[in-house]
Amino acid sequence: MARLEIDNLTKAFGSVPVFNGITLNVERSETVAVYGRSGCGKSTLLSILSGALPAGGGDIRIDGRSIIDAQPEERDIGMAFQNFALYPHMNAFDNIASPLRGRKKPPQDINERVEATAKLLKIDNVLSHFPQEISNGQRQRTSLARALVAEPAVLLLDDPLRNVDAKLRYEMRLEMPNLFRRFQSSVIYVTQDSREAMALADRIAILHNGQFIQVGPPQDVYEFPRTAEVGRLLGDPAINLFPCETMVRGDSLFVNPVNFPVNITGRYQLPSTSKYLAGVRPEDISMSVAPSANSHSIEATIESITLSNIRSVFVVKTTTGEKMTVSCPEEETQQYATKQRIYVYFPEEKVSLFSPDNERLIKQNPSN
Amino acid sequence: MATLDLHAVSKTYRSDGRDILAVDNLTLNTQDGEIIGLLGSSGCGKTTTLRAVAGFVKITSGKICLNGNDIHHLPPAHRDVAMAFEGYALYPPLRICENIGFSLLRKKISNSEINQSVREIASLLDIEDILDKYPVSTSAGQQQRTSLARALVRRAPITLLDEPMSQLDTQLRARVRMRVKEYLAHYRLSAVFVTHDQNEAITLADRIAVMEKGELQQFASATELKKHPDNLFVASFIGEPPMNIMPATVQFGNDGVHITLLNENTPVGELHLSKSDVRHLRDNRVHVGIRPHQVVLSNDAPLRGQVISNQWLGDQSHMLIDINGLCIVVVSARRFRDLHKGENIGVDFPSDAVIFFSVDDGRRYSENPTINRGG
Repeated sequence: MARLEIDNLTKAFGSVPVFNGITLNVERSETVAVYGRSGCGKSTLLSILSGALPAGGGDIRIDGRSIIDAQPEERDIGMAFQNFALYPHMNAFDNIASPLRGRKKPPQDINERVEATAKLLKIDNVLSHFPQEISNGQRQRTSLARALVAEPAVLLLDDPLRNVDAKLRYEMRLEMPNLFRRFQSSVIYVTQDSREAMALADRIAILHNGQFIQVGPPQDVYEFPRTAEVGRLLGDPAINLFPCETMVRGDSLFVNPVNFPVNITGRYQLPSTSKYLAGVRPEDISMSVAPSANSHSIEATIESITLSNIRSVFVVKTTTGEKMTVSCPEEETQQYATKQRIYVYFPEEKVSLFSPDNERLIKQNPSN
Repeated sequence: MATLDLHAVSKTYRSDGRDILAVDNLTLNTQDGEIIGLLGSSGCGKTTTLRAVAGFVKITSGKICLNGNDIHHLPPAHRDVAMAFEGYALYPPLRICENIGFSLLRKKISNSEINQSVREIASLLDIEDILDKYPVSTSAGQQQRTSLARALVRRAPITLLDEPMSQLDTQLRARVRMRVKEYLAHYRLSAVFVTHDQNEAITLADRIAVMEKGELQQFASATELKKHPDNLFVASFIGEPPMNIMPATVQFGNDGVHITLLNENTPVGELHLSKSDVRHLRDNRVHVGIRPHQVVLSNDAPLRGQVISNQWLGDQSHMLIDINGLCIVVVSARRFRDLHKGENIGVDFPSDAVIFFSVDDGRRYSENPTINRGG
């Protein structure tokens, strides 16, 4: 239950910079998901915060108190890992109790704390078992209990649901926010799963090239990616990016991604014949077997269909040879087959424009 | 190019004076060029099965045949299988390119051909830029792709992959998966891979063998596993999020069938189905299953629920709905469902989406000529 400030933190491995001064505040009882490609520095950040790695420069503060020179055990931080990292020679009880032992708490206190935490995580029935004797899910819960038992000011979670099966993952995904609220923890949650970041976080922090390139509530970051890279990172499958050019027809301004005229009059004030990238999310493109009657649509052929859960992913190719990724609800998949002729359509308001040079989002008119 | 057949394969380990049955009477027949996924949680026997095919595990009983010939008595090197290990098992003193090309040295092909094959597979897996490095100076994801490349480059009749993409991030994994699939199809290679990630199994495999406690639960395509799960285990394992499963009682009446959903033993709501919807049903106590995206939320629905949480994932919403104490997961594959915590909502289970399972053995009720289905 504390405010975590990461202030202009830098880190380099030899001559290779990892962070060139990153800043992020995690408020009391807030969960911030740090998300980025593998190698973006997510785990390095957690190691620095926990004290396992020294920082290059900058400061880390918990409730205004600098902890950057503090020993790991003095930092008031709890941690859980994707590989659980339980002590194999200790039973679940002793694993969970281990952060309390160093603090010279009376045994009665330790017992009560461990049992209460284990009960919350529904592992009170396996406390006498050793890690190798319990299921993966129970190991995961034991590792989470160990991170929470001392009620640390800050909780660092390194992809904790990565190695558990779907049933447990969804159970925990829906349970964890309530658990964090109960402990009033300030949480940094590192994940490689963009959906998990979306589901769990109060805010998402996108880490890319040693910088937080966008930080905000999941819905904002998803709907208004500041750069094309954020669009690519957040979203599965990734956003379509079509090269396009502005053109004036009468009083109206259009762009022409995949040779499909999109009216952007009023939304954008842009010079004609300038080039952009048009971003359209796969789920915003609708597909049908017949051309739509009241809106024009693009003729295309289905190249591949990938079954997935809840939504299926299609790669389609337009008559002018451009490829796009489209997703549709699983139950609508069966009416389609590869090589089939179909019609696709996307609404004008679902098109975002990015600069082709620096991939930054082009601002819309404020009235819209 | 090969067919792999497992006939009644069992493997018993001896541990602390006890026998542990890791694989229990497993029979699997694959087709030429098929990609098979062995899917299950840890300890289900999937890796033991894969290692038995590779020859690193000696089976206790049964037969393993490659193209009709018994191979289970052969040492690994004589089985004509290529394997990528979960722990990578790269050779530390060799550079990445040498690791990948190592198995080709035994074949009588020229260095330039080896180089070409290594480059092809490296470019497929996006590791061309690290070919001159040593494993120690590469990331876990790069080492894993090296191990994958080393297995694929051999183009063995059958390629075995143990959690081949577990270290890759989601987007890279999706890309690598598609490319590996195309590579296997292009060279008409058969493959068996082990994964605990059902998305990997669904997107990469032609057929999936779902395992639990050493036993094969079902062997079918992903679509079939989702539509017609053979038993409660498959139903609750496949699908993200998995199927909702709840106990219920059944009353057969003249006007149809009344299904009373239970939370523990307390009735929480009632569904009314026509007899044709439940013609295979023959017990008064059953388990009812419905997949999260098939639950319908509408105001004039037979059940009432309260929204506990609503998580928006970009292209879908996941909700937890409490029906008088019975919690179910509901998914909307459309965009954001504007439902707030605490809100009351009608819940319906469309009859064609409901699946019934036996309380006794967990099996799905299905067409069965010995059962009277006149109703």
